[in-house]
Amino acid sequence: MSGHNRRTFLTGALATGIAGAAGTRARAARPAAAEAGPPPVPGFHGPHQAGILNAPRRRTIVTAFDVIAGGKDELRELFRTLTDRARALTTGGVPPELGITAPPADSGVLGPSLPAGALTVTLGLGASLFDDRYGLASRKPAGLAEMPVFPNDDLDPAWCHGDLSLQLEADDDDTLLHALRDIARHTRGAMQVRWRMNGFTSPPRPSGTQRNLMGFKDGIANPETKNAAEMDRLVWIRDDKPDTSWATGGTYVVYRLIRMLVEFWDRVGLSEQEQMFGRTKDGGAPLDGVHEQDVPRYERDPVGKVIPVTSHIRLANPRKPETDDSRILRRSFNYDKGVDEVGNLDVGLLFSCFQQDLHRQFEAVQMRLVNEPLVDYITPFGGGYFLAVPGVRDATSSYAQNILL
Amino acid sequence: MEFRRPGTVILACLLLATGCATGCATAGAGERASPPKPATPAAPVVVQVSASHCGEGWTNPHAGQQTLMLTNTGDAPSGADLIGVPGGAVHAELEGLGPGVTRPMRVSLAQGTYAIRCEIDERDPITGPSVTITGAGAGGPATTPITYADLFAPAKHYGEYVAGGLDTLLARTKTLARAVDRGDLAAARKAWLPAHLAYESLGSAYGTFGDFDGSINGGPAGLPGGVHDKDFTGLHRVEYGLWHDESAKKLRPITDRLLKDVKSLHDDFPDERLDPGDLPLRAHEILENTLRFELTGRSDEGSGTTLATTAANVKGTRVTIGVLRPLLDDRYPGLKQVDEHLDRLDGLLAAQHHGGTWTPVDRLDPRVRESINGAVSGLLEELAPIAEILFPRRTK
Repeated sequence: MSGHNRRTFLTGALATGIAGAAGTRARAARPAAAEAGPPPVPGFHGPHQAGILNAPRRRTIVTAFDVIAGGKDELRELFRTLTDRARALTTGGVPPELGITAPPADSGVLGPSLPAGALTVTLGLGASLFDDRYGLASRKPAGLAEMPVFPNDDLDPAWCHGDLSLQLEADDDDTLLHALRDIARHTRGAMQVRWRMNGFTSPPRPSGTQRNLMGFKDGIANPETKNAAEMDRLVWIRDDKPDTSWATGGTYVVYRLIRMLVEFWDRVGLSEQEQMFGRTKDGGAPLDGVHEQDVPRYERDPVGKVIPVTSHIRLANPRKPETDDSRILRRSFNYDKGVDEVGNLDVGLLFSCFQQDLHRQFEAVQMRLVNEPLVDYITPFGGGYFLAVPGVRDATSSYAQNILL
Repeated sequence: MEFRRPGTVILACLLLATGCATGCATAGAGERASPPKPATPAAPVVVQVSASHCGEGWTNPHAGQQTLMLTNTGDAPSGADLIGVPGGAVHAELEGLGPGVTRPMRVSLAQGTYAIRCEIDERDPITGPSVTITGAGAGGPATTPITYADLFAPAKHYGEYVAGGLDTLLARTKTLARAVDRGDLAAARKAWLPAHLAYESLGSAYGTFGDFDGSINGGPAGLPGGVHDKDFTGLHRVEYGLWHDESAKKLRPITDRLLKDVKSLHDDFPDERLDPGDLPLRAHEILENTLRFELTGRSDEGSGTTLATTAANVKGTRVTIGVLRPLLDDRYPGLKQVDEHLDRLDGLLAAQHHGGTWTPVDRLDPRVRESINGAVSGLLEELAPIAEILFPRRTK
């Protein structure tokens, strides 16, 4: 972006062009979406970003970027551009006509008018953004760190970390690719893609929580997103320190790219698979229950004769008062990225979870899971920790506007 | 290349069960049991699992594919098998059915006589009433269960193989360490592969070696410092140094540590019990790791010898199958094909062995590489049932 005045101009033109249509279109789209089945996509403005508490859409792209902006002013400009583009892309409308002196403002992938309410954009900041490049060291909340190497990891540096994370979600791939292409175009010279992973959710098979690619229902026991008090306790950051209070209303997000060795998994007996997860494969009930939402009663099974003490669900959430505040809001997708060197499918989980405190929550869960039997069938190879910034309050505000002094 | 998959979980359950075989054989007469409503023709068949009502409720037996709902009406966790009478071949099983829990048992049964056997925690198994099925309908496979004790002899034989292999490993590691000691890195590079292959052919034993497996043959994965991490030790660390121009001075402490670890493993092994329950799992797990780490080239730290490792892993697999063969002969019709496919794989690998060197996987002709990958993958599909067939289902 530095030195590319043409792009800066383009940013302004596009943003103005679409903002005119914003208010009415977004509202008009809501009732139709509700009738069609999937819940409406939350609006762009608000105290928290969209794409966190709402149910996952059918598709996602998670992209990590490294910021290459030339200084604090360019970084500020990058945040402003990201805000404008996210606002425009989620709101929809007709892109501006730039006339004979420039290429078209929009790729045209979604037709002449961008649909409203089809997309969420969730921006996160990595710990590395707070190094000495932009003078932000004092603005880094104490809880933000670089994702460590966990004992069962096999991390590939090319798939880890980043200065920014951008998660796009929609029901269609073209919506996502259009958005990513648009955002990359408008921020060229200010940030570069470090890694990106596409993900998808699966429809209920046949009902209830979606299944992962091991065939098990995944994400059954999640905090209640409609319970505001629970979200305040488990998800949203509250920071009263003057230098870092900007983070209040944000949340820490963990992305983990976890290869599933599905060929190996398919060669394991059903009973052993179920004992590893602690749930039945067909219905998703805990092994001591009947329905997927049944709460396992570990106190009646202290040595794990029914639900092994090493099973995934029992280690991840022991359902004890002292582990209650380590619960995380999981929001995972499956990924499919081709085949490996030996012809096995390269598929797995694009795990993501949101929490108020990385150490108290994700890391506590992760350390309980070290060497669980399931680790033989998975390889965590990438991901990162980010702080999903507070929402953009209104049309005059931008992402992270309170971070920069 | 670690194995963490728990054969030991099976062991723990079985020990609890056998521990009871002598003292708690009397059936619990006072057990609470609330029989479910009798099944109507439209309702699913609900069969009880408990000490006092084992197998009751299996009404309207019929041939063909079906689902029985098994409900634990007792007060202790229980396993349940659907067995043939007489003979006791197992047609279907459920593990860890908790009190009050109902779970489906899917099975295909031909005409014959069957029963439910309840394996209640801390009791001798109880066999329910016999049920006779008539009429047409195809049955599914069944297996004659083995006991944990049936695996003792194979484990003993495998242990002898490992003890011999550790002698070889120690001798070859000494050769490697001596070469590094006198600063002859060319000789060290020559001595490295034989030492590594001695370890890689031990196959089924890795799970028994505990931390030694990581210190002697671990990779840099999971270590914050990668190949330069202080906890990256052993044969692959030495490989990294020998093929990345590290000096003898730098390598000496690393080979010293390796030799020390190999000596400790060698001396400890007689005391380390090879868990018999691991052997049927290892029948496919050795080559699972081969496919994942060797044929991808992932474990290579510079020597380009992962096909040699593959051949050593095949040897370990052959010995594993060899010691299990007496149990498999009558139980696994696919065994002959396994043997043929192991021979074919060895042939494919031998073609890449040129005197003292092996073709690195990334320099294989693409079609040859596909053939090797496919041969291992196909074998894995044929080896995986061994873990199910030789799961110790009976306590005595």
